[in-house]
Amino acid sequence: MASASWRQFKAILRKDLVMEMRTHEMITSMGLYAILTMVVYQIALTEAGEALDVRLVMPGLIWVAFIFMSLLGLNRSFVHEKDQGCIDALLLSPVDRPVIFFAKFSGNLLFLLAVEVLSLPVFAFLFLQGREGISNPIWLLGVVMLAASVGISGVGTLLATMTVNTSGKDILLAVVFVPLMYPLLRAAVGATFAAVIGGPGSIETFWSWMAWVAGFDVIMLLVAFGLYEFVIGA
Amino acid sequence: MGETPLTGNALEVRGLTRAFGARKALDKVDFDLPEGAFLSIFGPNGAGKTTLVKILTTLLNPSAGSVRVCGLDVVTDAVELRHKIGLISHNPLLYADLTAEENLLFFAEMYGIPDAEERVRELLESVELDHRRLDLTRTFSRGMLQRLSIARALLHRPDILFLDEPYSGLDPHAMDILDTLIAQIRGEHTFVMISHDLSKGLELCSHALILANGKVVMFDERDAIDEAAFRETYRATVGMGVA
Amino acid sequence: MNRTKIARLMLALGGVLTTAAFFMTFFWANASTFPDGRIDFGQKIFYFHVPVAEASFLVFFFTAFYGVKFLMTKDRRFDTRAKIATEVTLLFVLLTMATGILWTKVAWGVWWLWEPRLTTYFILTLLVIAYFVLRNSVEDEERRAVYASAFGILAFIDAPISFFITRWAESVHPVVLAGGEGSGLETPMLITFIVAQVGMLMLGYAFYEMRLHEEEIKERLEALKVTVGG
Repeated sequence: MASASWRQFKAILRKDLVMEMRTHEMITSMGLYAILTMVVYQIALTEAGEALDVRLVMPGLIWVAFIFMSLLGLNRSFVHEKDQGCIDALLLSPVDRPVIFFAKFSGNLLFLLAVEVLSLPVFAFLFLQGREGISNPIWLLGVVMLAASVGISGVGTLLATMTVNTSGKDILLAVVFVPLMYPLLRAAVGATFAAVIGGPGSIETFWSWMAWVAGFDVIMLLVAFGLYEFVIGA
Repeated sequence: MGETPLTGNALEVRGLTRAFGARKALDKVDFDLPEGAFLSIFGPNGAGKTTLVKILTTLLNPSAGSVRVCGLDVVTDAVELRHKIGLISHNPLLYADLTAEENLLFFAEMYGIPDAEERVRELLESVELDHRRLDLTRTFSRGMLQRLSIARALLHRPDILFLDEPYSGLDPHAMDILDTLIAQIRGEHTFVMISHDLSKGLELCSHALILANGKVVMFDERDAIDEAAFRETYRATVGMGVA
Repeated sequence: MNRTKIARLMLALGGVLTTAAFFMTFFWANASTFPDGRIDFGQKIFYFHVPVAEASFLVFFFTAFYGVKFLMTKDRRFDTRAKIATEVTLLFVLLTMATGILWTKVAWGVWWLWEPRLTTYFILTLLVIAYFVLRNSVEDEERRAVYASAFGILAFIDAPISFFITRWAESVHPVVLAGGEGSGLETPMLITFIVAQVGMLMLGYAFYEMRLHEEEIKERLEALKVTVGG
């Protein structure tokens, strides 16, 4: 049974990757969105000019971009399944529902991370040149991005499964998703800030924010996992 | 594949009710269908036809009553039962951004079919799509999608096939092909078909069932049915439940 | 005594108690003055604000509780209960926000501050509103009930996390009931507070019960229509 689930998990994930490689739907829309956000940031920050230490607002700015970017991807991720009723064919096959959850979650996580990893250097290139760089080791940013994206994709996969069946799905996902993400975003911004600004004690601060991120991930993933069977069967 | 049900019945539906609050989509539905039969389900919109098929295919759970398909309970044995059922719907249930072959291989993985590539090639040949196997199904016509959809439904050699208005939206040529395909596999499977087309449904079936307002109005073997009387009953029910 | 009668009684009692608490703050629990002898009128709102805030959390618990019960049983009545509990939560959350903003203005001189309780309440308000937006976007009744239950459960778990994380990120909000220097309540104030709190819970119960009664009558009417074949 376990090996069957693993095989099905891989099949669904591979299918999503193949379709994405072919259409570039999610990556393109998310990537474009990230770049547009930076243009808007430029407008927002331009009058402040040199007076503003961009590093102070950078953690907030990148998480704003990431959270709204993730909405685009999550919305797309169930459109394929719904299009020609594929989700019914998937549910008709002998697959345990949690397998579908983990496969869709993994796909969403991979796409989100890919765009995050691509857009972070662009942000640094556009806003941090000739200024003070990131104080603590850069891999700390990787840790926050990975951990927070797990929470975003986990809760997002559950919510996107619901909102794909509703009228006005794009807006609705934002309405239900963003408030639920508040604690995670708060902690991710806190950790990112500690990593970027540095200073004495910043590493401790970083890890205590990371404990919040990890706690949110564990609790919310367990709940989302528990609720998934009900939601996808409805 | 699996043991033969002791009763020899493909479907055993007992007191099946599906309700939410006061509204009953299905109300104490009872019937048996022997193995190898072809059941046509008729009824007006909102009569509960789709709900019935969704319960028989484990996509919905009954609120009350018991349902056994191929001797397996639709609730407790759902995963095992899914190996034995196939569905052909008016919706193709295929991924538009995968090729014909990729679609079938994907579902073969989901079912854990041994020698998947061999089986997929054989099926693509039988539905005459092997020349298009590397094309995205996005580029397929309605009839081609329906043929591929049949191949997908047959992949895991199901014992019982559900057809949910398979003819709707097909052009005459595609209907002919579907007829031929169904005729070819008729002997190997039990069929359950939802149909809006009375003549087509009666022509194919061995058993007929009329559903209205979630209740069975009529259920009988084809040979026992007086066609004129049947048509009269059907016409009388079509007015029911349509708001 | 049937449930409707109890609900009416609770409504009357709750009304009397909260009104009584309102007068008590002026004529009895008049302990709070500024150092220069002026009466601290802003403080009066505490007797309304805190009870309604606590009641809102309690009622929101029932959203999640009935959400779980609905998913276990798929019995529509539990979804109706969860929906009504969320309605009462929305009412209480909005009242808490309104009184909180007034108090913030009086005590801190600004209408709004991003401090833990205000932030949490803001998030909670958004979650409760989102619950209804979600409900209104789902056509199929059963699906609507399943989605609303799932979201109610997620939101109920999310709210305390939001609360503790903002608190952890340093609070400037007074923690009146948690002890600490100079934060205790004198007996008249404590009694007034308890009267207000009990009154508010009774009102909450009454609102819930009466809305439920109304909704059940609607459902019975619908059931009759179905039986008659309308």
